[in-house]
Amino acid sequence: MNNDAVKKITFRVQRFDPEKDRKPHFQEFTVPVKRGTTVMEGLLYIKENLDSSLAFRTSCRMGVCGSCGMLINEYPHLACHTQVEEFHSDKLTLKPLPNMAIIKDLVPKLDTLFEHHKSVKPYIIREDKEEMEKPTAGYLQKPQQLDEYLQFTYCIKCGLCIAACPTSASDKAFLGPQALGQAYRYCADSRDEGQDFRYAIVEKDHAVWNCHFAAACSEACPKGVDPALGIQLLRKGVAAKALGIKKTAAPATLATPPALAKPKIDVPEFTVEPK
Amino acid sequence: MKNTYLQISQMITGALVAVLLAIHITVQQWFVVLGLLGIKVADPTTWGSMMERAHQGSWVGIYIALLAFGLFHALNGFRNILLEINLSALAIRILTGFIIAFGVIFLILGTYAPIALFSSYR
Repeated sequence: MNNDAVKKITFRVQRFDPEKDRKPHFQEFTVPVKRGTTVMEGLLYIKENLDSSLAFRTSCRMGVCGSCGMLINEYPHLACHTQVEEFHSDKLTLKPLPNMAIIKDLVPKLDTLFEHHKSVKPYIIREDKEEMEKPTAGYLQKPQQLDEYLQFTYCIKCGLCIAACPTSASDKAFLGPQALGQAYRYCADSRDEGQDFRYAIVEKDHAVWNCHFAAACSEACPKGVDPALGIQLLRKGVAAKALGIKKTAAPATLATPPALAKPKIDVPEFTVEPK
Repeated sequence: MKNTYLQISQMITGALVAVLLAIHITVQQWFVVLGLLGIKVADPTTWGSMMERAHQGSWVGIYIALLAFGLFHALNGFRNILLEINLSALAIRILTGFIIAFGVIFLILGTYAPIALFSSYR
């Protein structure tokens, strides 16, 4: 497609207003698109020019905030991260993310996602409470230790993994790939001492052992995170703990404050006098 | 760690069932394979041959183990599937009790025959 060539694409959008509608229905809009036009830009065009009542979430418009997750042609995508051209079709069907309640039109209710996320204690837990309350320095971590969990820190909580997950579709109480992936992220962090708390949470019903390993979550993730891998590694950790064969390393120690740190090589004193 | 122990047991029993079932199927069919190779051996599916195995402690052990591991694997797997339909805590307890009772009854019934046969020989 030429950069300036404009093509007409039909956006078939699922509409649902809980105050007026009993069930969702579809409405079609014709949107002019050119090379590089994203689905989000198409939705903004509809809102600005065709129907201002259309509801959808948007914020960063560059695949960072995770607000605009939706089903585009029956597959979960971020609308701002997906170009219309990718589908090679004159018609796009847009629906809100499945496995979640609908607030309005393309806006899913993400409460469950955040409740599940919160339930796995997604933060560093340390026994030295005083240091946590009033930190005096950072914790030391080797690059290899960072690599253990780095990819899982890229999660933007968009909910696409949950929308793609077949277990989340059939088991509404399932913790879901997002929360389980984040549970692994913190368990694998060498600075953390909260493994036992998290293992007790993810070991319950509707959690780590209920994953069917379809790996649809990893395929859908727009940030390249592999929650299915995280769940398998979490299982390995939980099982090793239960069998008493889990290797536990000492938690990361505090880094020496820079003012007290000795340089590795002798650095000459600064001798140039200021003018 | 209840669920973890159940899942580990599910994996171990699955592997054991595969091994024991492989022994069972091989013994039942090996004479056919050997026959194709021109080696004539006794048919293990005849009444006499089965009775002979029933009087050997190792075979009684294998069949009771296959029954026990198979029952555990099947019933625990069935329970795992049912738990995905969001049952209440009470319903889960009743279901678990029913499944355990079912398994124990069938284990007793299933072990009775080989043990009775084995005992009658002695």
